Amino acid sequence: MDSLEKYIKENKAFFNDQKADRAKLWENIEAELGHTQPKVIPLWKSPLFKIAASFLLLIGITGILGSIFLGNNAQEHQFASQELRDIDMHYQGLVSYQIQLVHKNEQLSETDKAEFLSFIDELDQEYEELRLEMQNNLDNERVLEAIVANYRKRIELIENLLRQLNESKLKDEEYGYTL
Amino acid sequence: MKELDTNIRFTHKSLVEKSKAGDRNSQYKLYELYVDAMYNIGLRYLRIKEDAEDIVQESFVDAFRNLHTFKYESTFGAWLKRIVINKSINHLKVKRLALANMDDHDHHLTDEEETVAELPLALEKIKTGIQKLPLGYQQIINLYLLEGYDHIEIGEVLGITTSTSKSQYHRAKKKLVQIINAL
Repeated sequence: MDSLEKYIKENKAFFNDQKADRAKLWENIEAELGHTQPKVIPLWKSPLFKIAASFLLLIGITGILGSIFLGNNAQEHQFASQELRDIDMHYQGLVSYQIQLVHKNEQLSETDKAEFLSFIDELDQEYEELRLEMQNNLDNERVLEAIVANYRKRIELIENLLRQLNESKLKDEEYGYTL
Repeated sequence: MKELDTNIRFTHKSLVEKSKAGDRNSQYKLYELYVDAMYNIGLRYLRIKEDAEDIVQESFVDAFRNLHTFKYESTFGAWLKRIVINKSINHLKVKRLALANMDDHDHHLTDEEETVAELPLALEKIKTGIQKLPLGYQQIINLYLLEGYDHIEIGEVLGITTSTSKSQYHRAKKKLVQIINAL
């Protein structure tokens, strides 16, 4: 290395004498970084997760082995409960919607509402019993039919009530016009 | 010696690690430590204050976003510096102030005395001399003498071979001496 090279290298500081506008630059950097998603630390890197994953795997294997040994019986049961779940999903929504309608109805007095809803409660109880019976795996088809009939009954009851209320409302309105 | 190297590479490790996790305070501390050095580098290549500022900003944003790729193979400072230098050189390429045309200046060079007359001479004179160099020569002088890069690293940054880097550096230095002596 010659003397000029050495001289420049020894005096590097002289060539780095400019000062940046720190506040301004940082403001822009921060604004830019703000747009990015916070860094996600992968869950699988945590040792706790590894323990939990091993545990779940163990449970999973036990479950699979268990179901193989318990055989087809359990499988049938599963299909039945799947069917029940589907029925529940369909009808529960309908029933609760209509019960809401009854609750909101302004023409019914509180006592009428309570009386009507007590019928529904009775049907609810019947449903619970049917469901328990399903779990005992008694003649599945018939119990399922009974459950559907139970739901339909509840819906029918509510629909009848609401129709009657609407009809009387209509009559009132017509009466009003004839005056 | 090896242990010392390792220690140097892990400079500011805790700040770097916290910054990796997205801690804004640690990021700011790293920024404070390196912003002036990076700004001077940017300014050296780009010469225009606003351009240097843009490049420094972009470099810090890129560095923080990609910090997970930094594996302590060098110091954080050296890693960041490389980002700034690459961005500066690319910026110049985009501006079409390409590295080329170095050869155009060669006919001015003679085989006369390579050393400057008196040392120490005013550093200001050297600085002016470097700034008067054609762009390509200027970059190679900056990279070798001020950034402390070797010819392999310069080759990587400029996309030229190691031997080209060596010969261009040799010519650049000759030219610099000539300019300084004429000042």
